[in-house]
Amino acid sequence: MLSFGKLVTNEWLKMYKKRSFFIPYAAIAVVIGLVAYMMKSFSLSDGMPSGLEFTAGMFSKNGMGQLLTFLAIIGTAGSVAKEHSLGTIKLLLIRAQSRGKILAAKYVSVLAYILSLSLFALAVSLLAGGLLFGFQAREAGWEDVTLTVLAQLAYSLIYVTVTFMIGVFTRSTGATIGVGMILVLLESLVVGLLSRYDIIKYVLFTNVDLSVYLEGGIPPVQGMTPAFSLIVLAVYMILFLGASFVTFKKRDVA
Amino acid sequence: MNGPFVKGPIEQDNTDSIVLSVQGVTKRIKNRNIVDKLSFEIHKGEIVGLLGPNGAGKTTTIRMIVGLIGMTEGDVIVKGKSVRKDFAGAIAHVGGIIENPEFYPYMTGYDNLKQYQRMTEGITEERIRTVTKLVGLEDAMRKKVKAYSLGMRQRLGIAQALLHEPSILILDEPTNGLDPAGIREMRDYLKRIASEEGISVLVSSHLLSEMELMCSRVVVIQEGKLVTMRTLGASGISDASTGAEPERVHVTLRVDDAAAAKSRLARMEEIRILNVSEESNEITVSVRDAYIPRMVGALGSEGIGLYRIEEIKESLEDEFLKWTGGNRIA
Repeated sequence: MLSFGKLVTNEWLKMYKKRSFFIPYAAIAVVIGLVAYMMKSFSLSDGMPSGLEFTAGMFSKNGMGQLLTFLAIIGTAGSVAKEHSLGTIKLLLIRAQSRGKILAAKYVSVLAYILSLSLFALAVSLLAGGLLFGFQAREAGWEDVTLTVLAQLAYSLIYVTVTFMIGVFTRSTGATIGVGMILVLLESLVVGLLSRYDIIKYVLFTNVDLSVYLEGGIPPVQGMTPAFSLIVLAVYMILFLGASFVTFKKRDVA
Repeated sequence: MNGPFVKGPIEQDNTDSIVLSVQGVTKRIKNRNIVDKLSFEIHKGEIVGLLGPNGAGKTTTIRMIVGLIGMTEGDVIVKGKSVRKDFAGAIAHVGGIIENPEFYPYMTGYDNLKQYQRMTEGITEERIRTVTKLVGLEDAMRKKVKAYSLGMRQRLGIAQALLHEPSILILDEPTNGLDPAGIREMRDYLKRIASEEGISVLVSSHLLSEMELMCSRVVVIQEGKLVTMRTLGASGISDASTGAEPERVHVTLRVDDAAAAKSRLARMEEIRILNVSEESNEITVSVRDAYIPRMVGALGSEGIGLYRIEEIKESLEDEFLKWTGGNRIA
């Protein structure tokens, strides 16, 4: 187990040592700051949200949810693909570590990355919202914030896992980012187009946004429950990860 | 002992000294055998060259040994551990440089080595210092790798390969893209590593003159099959393949009167005249080493002036072309 921790450290350092590492964090801070400032400046005084409402709003899919997911996709895409394009995969795989372990370490480091992005966004949102709007809980409480953040994390997690798999398949960072983002953008289109058919219930896109089950949301198909969505998502995750690991282990590195 | 004519692989009595054993390794892609039942062994402290024309399967073979490419059949045993069944155990004894070593360019040389340190148990800071000193990169360790020259990167490549104190170094075209000074430096490192630390080296290349200077033995493959294995002596290649009996050497004499020299030498039983060139006054003979002083004496007593004696060595290149049937690209 000790050596697995070291492998994750390695993967984290590969992301962290890049000069571009802090750009996504800066982007998040700027966007949140800007939105908060604009809301403070232009909204009518009676329509002012509380700090917690602001945070919950920022984390909804239509707020920062998709931006966070895009940033996570960009961060994930290089994890496997960059090793191939830099050629470092050759020196990485001739160590006394199994390929499965190496890929698992990469996946864990990617998860740590999206977690750090979300927590950072949460901290900045709370700070900006609290400073500008105060913390008196009105419509949204801490529980709502937590659930919204969790739903956003799950949303990012699914797309990051898909992106991770595409990275293993294509070995190209650019292609991986492209496909990952297109999938996110296709989501509502596909759900809209297929909504007449029953099969839509089992499509990844329909289930990926768990925030619909939070207060006031309407599930895309009637009768869908949180438990149902979680099971569908879990099946997809297993498929994606299974395909990634099998491909990575079998691959001839030429 | 003047040992240019050792036959076959160096005889090692105990099989314990076998570090790497390639056993009937085959790689089949779409019904074509890229590598076909290839077998050879490498002993402790040997530098073995894997030679072959382009497309012969050198790179595929090397990558199968280090587990980057899967084998269709056969197995590779490193220090008694199977690459197929116990990859981590086998590869722990292997240090590899596959083509030009690639590092994370945005990290320093030290950070890159730390990456590989974390991947193997028991590599100390002291060991990192030792290998960087060995390859002479102490001053460059705090620089980012993107600022390294190709030669420096190659040295860092050796450092990472030696980090976990392997029993065998496996190098795929290590001198690709290096300038003559870099090539020489590489060669000196490898020789020193092999002799001082007893580490075996397997190196693939198509640079024959390089191999000749570096290797104690060559394994020649073509179209994925073993063509021949040769032990290289101190002064050139084994003569066994040319059919001449051992100890015989070919020498060219430059004299002032080739015709007279020819008639004199023709009377000596021990000497076979191979070629006479009257225009340039040169005569080429095949003669036993021990007999050369007498030959010179005979020419001297006839009053024939002798200007030069040169040994004709078949270069590895000549041999190679013979083995692989010219420059046919498979």
